[in-house]
Amino acid sequence: MVGNRTETKEPRVLSGDSKLVERCLRGDDAAWEAVVKSFGKRIYNLSYRYTNRRDEAEDLTQEILIRVYQNLKSYRAESGSFQNWLLRVARNLIIDHYRQVRRYPQTGGSDELETMNIGDEKLPTPQRAFEQVEASQFLQDGLQSLSPELKEAIVLRDIEGMAYGEMADLLNIPEGTIKSRINRGRLELAKLLIKRRSQIGMQG
Amino acid sequence: MDCSKIEQWLSGYLESSLPAEETENVAQHLETCANCSALLVEMRSALSLCGSYPVLEMVPDFIEKILLRTSGRPRTRTFRERLNQYFVRPFLTPRLAVGASLVTLFLVLMTNLMGPRLSGAASALAPEELLRYMDQGVQHLYGQVLRADALKDDWQAQFSRFKNNTWNKMRSIMEQMDAPVEGRRKSQDEKKEKAPKEKSSSLMESSA
Repeated sequence: MVGNRTETKEPRVLSGDSKLVERCLRGDDAAWEAVVKSFGKRIYNLSYRYTNRRDEAEDLTQEILIRVYQNLKSYRAESGSFQNWLLRVARNLIIDHYRQVRRYPQTGGSDELETMNIGDEKLPTPQRAFEQVEASQFLQDGLQSLSPELKEAIVLRDIEGMAYGEMADLLNIPEGTIKSRINRGRLELAKLLIKRRSQIGMQG
Repeated sequence: MDCSKIEQWLSGYLESSLPAEETENVAQHLETCANCSALLVEMRSALSLCGSYPVLEMVPDFIEKILLRTSGRPRTRTFRERLNQYFVRPFLTPRLAVGASLVTLFLVLMTNLMGPRLSGAASALAPEELLRYMDQGVQHLYGQVLRADALKDDWQAQFSRFKNNTWNKMRSIMEQMDAPVEGRRKSQDEKKEKAPKEKSSSLMESSA
């Protein structure tokens, strides 16, 4: 149970993460705090992109991290990076959450106005702020209208910036399928944008 | 070339990951087809929208909540937070403000009234000497305060760890006392109950 303080700090690579897990398992609370701080934000944002609501995302993040803490023992460094393991746990719980709630997130209750103030400290001019809200509102609505598979592909690739290989590993499907899902998702978003422009009467 | 075929390649074309031959096919098609080039333009703007999707920050309280529900140990405070918690905030009270202004007033009056007499005594001590004494005194005090703070902090950490450990142990004992299967069923039932409740409450609101 004694936290080993003599270990040197390592860059956050594969082996570093598995060391971190080892330290957590030995009861080193500081190591667990480091895990929560470095991966929590990613999980929080991922949950938010799936649920489109901040309160739900917070609950989900807590649930996910509690599950991770309880199951740390089952992580094997040989079978992949800690991050991917963590994301897999997160994804499973997010999908469970979907099934429980039995609906796909609605745009009506989303809190996009609130989120505008987060992320950028310097507030832009009212005009720009309005356009930004409108654009992010459009994207959120557009994402909700995609099928779950397409939405997942777009969120992971275009918002989270994951590589195709990572995604194939995480979702356990071939890269070709992922690429075609991403293409379909992007096409649908593009078509929605065209539709919106024609409705507003602006030139594309 | 067929538009639907081109559509399949647009994403790859955008990422320039297509083989040379297909890239050329797409490029040729785009020159003549307004629909497909409009699609490409919008695909690009959809991508840039995705890039500027808002990023949520985890507030410290949220991290604390998670830590307390997992390891049970509170978050490590930064030096600035501690300074704020133990020194700045406790001293920023109305009472202190009133006290400080009274002391200043008193000192001003004293120096005005007793100025001539004090000046004689003060001249006995060189100003540098006086400053040095004052500095020593302040440093000594500051050191004492820091030491006291460290002790307090340690004690607090120990206490909260003890408290949380006991709490967790008690919880696990309580959980073991319940039959695990029953417990699981219960929690599922609770979750099922939750949804209709929310619905009914929203109905109530709308009817009201």
